[in-house]
Amino acid sequence: MSLRADSVLRVRWWLSFTSDGARCRGPAAGNGDLVPIVSTGNTAQVPDEPVLRCAELTRRFGERLAVDDVSFSLDAGEIYGLLGPNGAGKTTTIKMVCGLLEPDGGTITIGGRPAAGDLSVKSLVGYVPQDVALYSDLTARENLAFLGRLYRLHGALLEERVSEALELTDLSDRAGDRVDSFSGGMKRRLNMAAGLLNHPVLLVLDEPTVGVDPQSRHAILERVQTFGRGGMAVLYTTHYMEEAERVCDRVGIVDRGRLVAEGTRRELVARLGQRDRIELGAAGDLERLAAAVRTVPGVESADTADHAVHLVAEDGRRILPAILEAAERAEVALNSVDVVEPDLEAVFLHLTGTALRE
Amino acid sequence: MRAIAIARVSIRRIVRDRTALFFIVVLPVIVILIVGAAERGFTTFRVGVVDLGAGQAGRQLTTAFEHSSDLAVSRYATLAALRKAVARGELNVGVVLPSGMDVTEGRGGTVAVGVMAEQANSSQQAAATAVSSVIAGQGAKVQAARFASVHGSGTFEENLARAGSLQPHVAQVGLRSQTADSSHNVLPEGFSYSAPTMLVFFVFLNALAAGASIIETRQLGMYERMTAGPVRRGTIIAGETLAYFTMALLQATLIVVVGGVAFGVSWGDPLAATVLVALWALVGAGAGMLSGTLFHTPEQASAIGPTAGIALGMLGGCMWPLAIVSSTMRQIGHLTPQAWAVDAWTSLLSRSGTISSIAPQLAVLGAFAALFLVSATVRLRRVVA
Amino acid sequence: MRNAFVIAHKDLRQRLRDRSAIVLGLVAPLAIAALMSVAFKGSDTFHFTMGVVDVDRGPVAAGLLKALDAPGLRQIVTVKTIASKRSAADAVRAKSVAAALVVPAGFSASIEGGDPLSLVTLTSVNQTVAGDITSSIATSFIAQLNADRLSVATALAAGVPTSQSAHLEALAAGFQIPERAVQRSIGAHKLKTISYYSPGMAIFFLLFTISFTARSFFVDRAQGMIERIRAAPVRPLEILAGKAMSVLVYGVASLGTVAVITSAAFGANWGAPAAAALLGLAMVVAVVCVTALVMCIARTQRQAEGISSIAVFGLALLGGNFIFLSSSPPVMRTVALFTPNGWAMRGFTDLSTIGGGLGTVAEPVLAILSFSVVAGSAAALLARRAVAA
Repeated sequence: MSLRADSVLRVRWWLSFTSDGARCRGPAAGNGDLVPIVSTGNTAQVPDEPVLRCAELTRRFGERLAVDDVSFSLDAGEIYGLLGPNGAGKTTTIKMVCGLLEPDGGTITIGGRPAAGDLSVKSLVGYVPQDVALYSDLTARENLAFLGRLYRLHGALLEERVSEALELTDLSDRAGDRVDSFSGGMKRRLNMAAGLLNHPVLLVLDEPTVGVDPQSRHAILERVQTFGRGGMAVLYTTHYMEEAERVCDRVGIVDRGRLVAEGTRRELVARLGQRDRIELGAAGDLERLAAAVRTVPGVESADTADHAVHLVAEDGRRILPAILEAAERAEVALNSVDVVEPDLEAVFLHLTGTALRE
Repeated sequence: MRAIAIARVSIRRIVRDRTALFFIVVLPVIVILIVGAAERGFTTFRVGVVDLGAGQAGRQLTTAFEHSSDLAVSRYATLAALRKAVARGELNVGVVLPSGMDVTEGRGGTVAVGVMAEQANSSQQAAATAVSSVIAGQGAKVQAARFASVHGSGTFEENLARAGSLQPHVAQVGLRSQTADSSHNVLPEGFSYSAPTMLVFFVFLNALAAGASIIETRQLGMYERMTAGPVRRGTIIAGETLAYFTMALLQATLIVVVGGVAFGVSWGDPLAATVLVALWALVGAGAGMLSGTLFHTPEQASAIGPTAGIALGMLGGCMWPLAIVSSTMRQIGHLTPQAWAVDAWTSLLSRSGTISSIAPQLAVLGAFAALFLVSATVRLRRVVA
Repeated sequence: MRNAFVIAHKDLRQRLRDRSAIVLGLVAPLAIAALMSVAFKGSDTFHFTMGVVDVDRGPVAAGLLKALDAPGLRQIVTVKTIASKRSAADAVRAKSVAAALVVPAGFSASIEGGDPLSLVTLTSVNQTVAGDITSSIATSFIAQLNADRLSVATALAAGVPTSQSAHLEALAAGFQIPERAVQRSIGAHKLKTISYYSPGMAIFFLLFTISFTARSFFVDRAQGMIERIRAAPVRPLEILAGKAMSVLVYGVASLGTVAVITSAAFGANWGAPAAAALLGLAMVVAVVCVTALVMCIARTQRQAEGISSIAVFGLALLGGNFIFLSSSPPVMRTVALFTPNGWAMRGFTDLSTIGGGLGTVAEPVLAILSFSVVAGSAAALLARRAVAA
């Protein structure tokens, strides 16, 4: 909790200097990146209110309940990860936060103000969609200038913001080139730059690392962390457990539309108690193996993913022989057995009974 | 066999696109219908009549117009409406029957029937001449009645009736028409005009538009993928050619069948028509493939392709007969393959031509097909590589 | 509304960057108008040479030759005397005359008898108009002869003794048919081919904007751009208004440029500038509404391309942008009045022939705007779905 208190303090400090809406650069962070931080402009943050509060959000698509009674909140400077498999309702939740979908039930407040029907609240939010959303026949600068204008930026301020966003994503030297000449990584970076133009209070990132090479992924994660340290609230969806563990201050675990647990990594892992996660690498019928090990006393859940059976068990080391025996009975040859330290993946498996798939 | 597989995929992709089907199937048929209907009846002139007096003489003259086989008559209530219709070109000529015709004729005056036709316009002038001769024929009875009343006996009315009953029995000075030649250099009217010209027009146009699919295939990296496999570039080119040729042939055949069955077009000598259709499909295939290699994006192909197709169609006599344009334009027109194809169809449909009579045209079309296909192949080799 | 301008500005920039926009909006209509103007140069005026063979050499034949020399006929016919019928037929085949008129031997003499001879026309299958005019001239001339013959017959029937028939014939020759055709002014300019097809082609290529805009909307949507724009403080209506505005500006620019260039370079007559501008603007508004409708009906890019292509070519065909519908059957002229471009073509035709100003285009403009209201309302009903989807 120390991290949270710290970031709230930092934003308060910052707000006291920038209530006139002047542009401000945050403290140099990490490798000396320039960090844009909250610029409220015409919409002042209500003190003591979380930046984002979602209460009892519900959304249906026909018969299907995509988001079911989801509540969570974010403070300034906090990075919140929504972790869950594809189709869990992460993107739907994010779209409601960004005003792209109307919730069927529940409320969203941003900066203490209800988001429903208030166009100006959208100015507080920066949205970075999962797929690169840019005009390929316009240059990087033209794209950013266009989107900036939609946030009512103009003149010198617009130019400044565009240059800043380009600088921040290392694209300044390619600003005049058409987007269709960019590499995949550059498009991703520009996609993110476009979400920063309005100096959002809340930055919403939808799976920003899907389909990105490891190097770019590292750079993106580092940047997100920098934003958080700069005082921005970041809402982040991912189905990569390691990512959530690495960048998020708090994680909400989503499964089938429900927020099944939330907390810091430590809090979540603590819920496992003495449980361990065991990974059985095997060739052959993994489903049969999973079914077999489920019968072993002490095994709470078992699921197949990525050529392995993942299971959560009470005191894993102790019942390992029984598990191996069950595997032998199921006539499945094991390649590897790993007893893993409690991690978010174990938490997920424990809470949902399913393994997170790549 | 691999070439056939490539052709099948290309055809499937084109056929699956319902928009393409609209342009290949529906649009040509509609255009043949509309153009055929609009170009029908060059021989009857459209005449509008407004009768300002509404007397007996006016009625008789109007009836005389209606009985003339050269004229298609419609009546108008006001002079303004008639004038508008002539100005818009809805009528070749407007006829204004003045008020007081009966009185003028009874008094021995001359009735001036107003004829509105544009001096310089050929069809309007021809129509005006046709109208004048009907008026003259109708006036004969009035002249006779007047003559008899002056030089013989009886009232004007009595003699008018007498003239009317005598007219069929008095031997008439006649007019015999003889045709000095029989070698038509334009297509017949109606659907026999629209079907062959639109066949030439649409097969070529759609082939140009289909060039977009080669560009798409290229952009999707499919050629790269194919050449990565055990496929020679020549095979790919053969496959694409086969696909374009098949599509062009199918469309041409469709127009021939629909034209023959639904619009009663007689396509002339079967052998010559078949060879001509096949050769034209080959010209289309070559042009389509060439457009697929010349343009860079599908958007360019779909913007420039139709424009080029329409322009070439106009130059080549698909939109109007080249017989009506100046000889310079006719020569320029014959730089397009369309002009040669239309000439060949004219020979088959209007002059009962055979394969030997259209041999020169077939030779030129063959040269065009070869030119297109060779340049497309050369360019495609570069593209596929 | 500021955002609508921002979106329109961006759309126009993209549109101009794509060269096909300039091709369709400017190059294509001008190229085709130029082609038509060259192709029909001189063919709007008609003149032909008629061969006359006078084997008769009698007074009636002399009368015919005199009639052919009338000033009214001189504008369309040049008469060329030919010695024999055979050489006249050769001349027709050799295209040195377009048609010929033969007065057979003994024609004048036969007129007074009970069994008159016939005049003969020699025509070519490829010169139907010249043939028709030759026949009509001959028919008019013959009509006077027949009227004279009927006059004599009627007088005899009315009691004049048969012995006086020769005298009667001489008297009748002085009479003239008392119903005559006189040229009457249409009170309008001639409709030149270029004046019809300049607006025709300009509007046809303007219709392509429907395809282009609808397509780009769905491409934007697939790329997530519409969603990204909606995440900004922008009202859905502003997005549509922005798109509409870009179509409006592009359409007005394209139509206006084509009008100015075709007027200046090819002598097309678009009519009074204010009225033509109003009519053009109404047509662009209709294009905006049809575009909106297509965008709202279609669910995918493919569908948008399909529906808009069909709309473009369907409207162009039915409205008479390609085919001079005035000469087509009335049912097609009626169908044309269900399309906005059909009304626009009628308006431009009236402007270039009948002339006048705003009064001339009032009816077409109202009709086009009614069409736009219908299309626009249908689009508005479906709009929420399109933007929200």
